[in-house]
Order: sequence, then structure tokens, then C-alpha cells
Amino acid sequence: MIHVEIAAETLFTIGGFEVTNSMVGAVLASLLLLAGAWYITRRSALVPHRLQSLLELPVEWVANIVQGSSTRWRGYVALVIGLFIMILVANWLSLLPGVGTIGINHEVDGHEVLTPLVRPAAADLNFTLGLAIITFVVFVWWGVRLHGPLGYLKELVGEPRYMAPLMFPIHLISELSRLVSLSMRLFGNVFAGEVLIATMLALTTATLFVLPLAFFVPAIFLGLELLFGAVQALVFALLTMTYITMAIAEGQGDHADEHPTGDDHDVQPSTTTASSPA
Amino acid sequence: MGIAFDLGIRLGISVILGLGGGLLLDSWLHTSPVFTLIGMALGIGAAMYTIWDVAHDAMRK
Repeated sequence: MIHVEIAAETLFTIGGFEVTNSMVGAVLASLLLLAGAWYITRRSALVPHRLQSLLELPVEWVANIVQGSSTRWRGYVALVIGLFIMILVANWLSLLPGVGTIGINHEVDGHEVLTPLVRPAAADLNFTLGLAIITFVVFVWWGVRLHGPLGYLKELVGEPRYMAPLMFPIHLISELSRLVSLSMRLFGNVFAGEVLIATMLALTTATLFVLPLAFFVPAIFLGLELLFGAVQALVFALLTMTYITMAIAEGQGDHADEHPTGDDHDVQPSTTTASSPA
Repeated sequence: MGIAFDLGIRLGISVILGLGGGLLLDSWLHTSPVFTLIGMALGIGAAMYTIWDVAHDAMRK
């Protein structure tokens, strides 16, 4: 029987604080990233060896994209790369054997239900909403930094001023829609992927007649999930970059590249146009 | 492509946010359907504004 739980399941509580299986997934992804970072910083070489090249490849790739987004790319490149790597590792971790399949059995309404010990972090709305809130705060901060607090509020109110009662809620809804869109897209895609794989496994192991298919059909979908996991991580990271770039461009006006302000040492004359997300 | 995906989702979310906010206000102030209609109109307006905002940004580049 397929059991799909939209909310992450609580494994245990520590002093009233509920530890869910998606938290375990997020912690595992973080530990994996820390181990990778530790390895790179301890054993890095000027001419990278194979493993170092492999670990540096996604970082360099995203850094090259961000470099072309605006003249102030140094201010947010770490966030974009961090988001990409974290989501990528969290998504790919869900494809490992045991994730979602090893857990604790318990009875619900007479049926035996499995509570997995590890659940993909992005299959929990709390995780994706947390990341989206970080992104939201950062691009609002960039807007406030370049306009000033009053200038940012004036931007929200819009021109002409007598249209403020109409334009302020419209601007507010439009800004909030970014937060919801970022979090819901990632959660929806990863959760749907989990449900799809569970359904395919259940269908192909349902009867002895179709049992041989259980070895091939889920493998196809696991391969697709490998691709979707990377695409979703990239989309989240690049949309973060796009939102920040938009906030910077609005702050600097349409002549941003002619009169860069503030941290001019970040200016890269040859890279002034934004790249579109994949 | 990411921007296109994002735009599609944001259009729907803008309307849902406006409509949801209106429904909440109506249930709180017992003024149904005044704020629901206003919220829906604002949500549709926000969706249109989002299209303009994204197009404006794309043209600037």
C-alpha cells in the first residue's frame, strides 16, 4: 500500500522540539557538504586532481554564470553558489538506497505504515520556505541598500503618488508572489518526484507477472530525478540571482553601468549583462 | 526558461494571494464579499504588473 505524507514525520522530540525525518535529510546533506569543503581546503592543489576538479566543477560553473549578471556580483555570488550546492546535494541524496525506504513501522487505522528515517529535505515545505525567505530577505536588503529605506518604500508605493492605494497592495502581492513561487516550485517538484518513484515501485512490485519490470521502470524515473534535481537546484539559484539583479538594476536605474556607485572595485567591464536562467 | 516557469507560477500565486487575503479580511470583518472582490481585482492587477515587470527587466537587458 502506498502511503504518502505531505508533512514531514516527527521521529523524536528533544525538550519539546520535534525532530522530523526531513531535518535528518537536511543535516546529512550539510554534513556531506562540510566533508567536501574540509577535503578541498585540506588537500587542494594549484593543479587540481580528479576529485578536486569534480568538487570544484559545479562551483566554477555557477560562479561563471553569476559573474555575468551585474557589476556587483561579488556581493551575492556566495549565496547563489551555496543555494545551488545545498539544494543539489539535498535532492541527489534522496536517490540513495535507504532514503525513504528504511524506517519505523507503525499502525495507522489498521494498516502498517512506514515512517522513513530520512526524507529528502526539499520534500518538506519548511525547508524550501526557509531558503526562499533567505532569498527574499537578501533581495529586499539589496533594494533597501541601494534606494535607502524610504526610497524602497517609495518604490513600493510607485508613481504617481495618488495611485498609492492601488499600487502599494499590487506591488506587495507581486513581491510576496516571488517568495511563494520559489518555495512552492521546489517543494512541489521534489515531493512529486518522491511520489512518482514510490508509485512506480508499488505498481511494478504489485504482482509476480510484472515483477521483472521492478528492476527497470523505477531506474528510468530515478535517472529522470537525477536530472530534475539538478535543474530545480539551478532554477532556484538562478532565480535568486535574477531577483537580486533586478533589485540592483532598479536601484541603479537604467544607467547602472555608466555610473556604478558604492563598491566600484567589483566592476567587471566585460561582464555587464545578466544571464537568463536555464 | 527559468524566468518563464517563474512567471507562470507567479501569475497564479498573485491571484491566489489577493483572493486569499480578501477572503481572510472578509471572514475577519464580516463584510463578505467586499474584500474578496477587491482582493481578487488586486491579485489580477498584481499578475499583470508581474508580466510588465519581467518584460521591462528583459527589455532593459
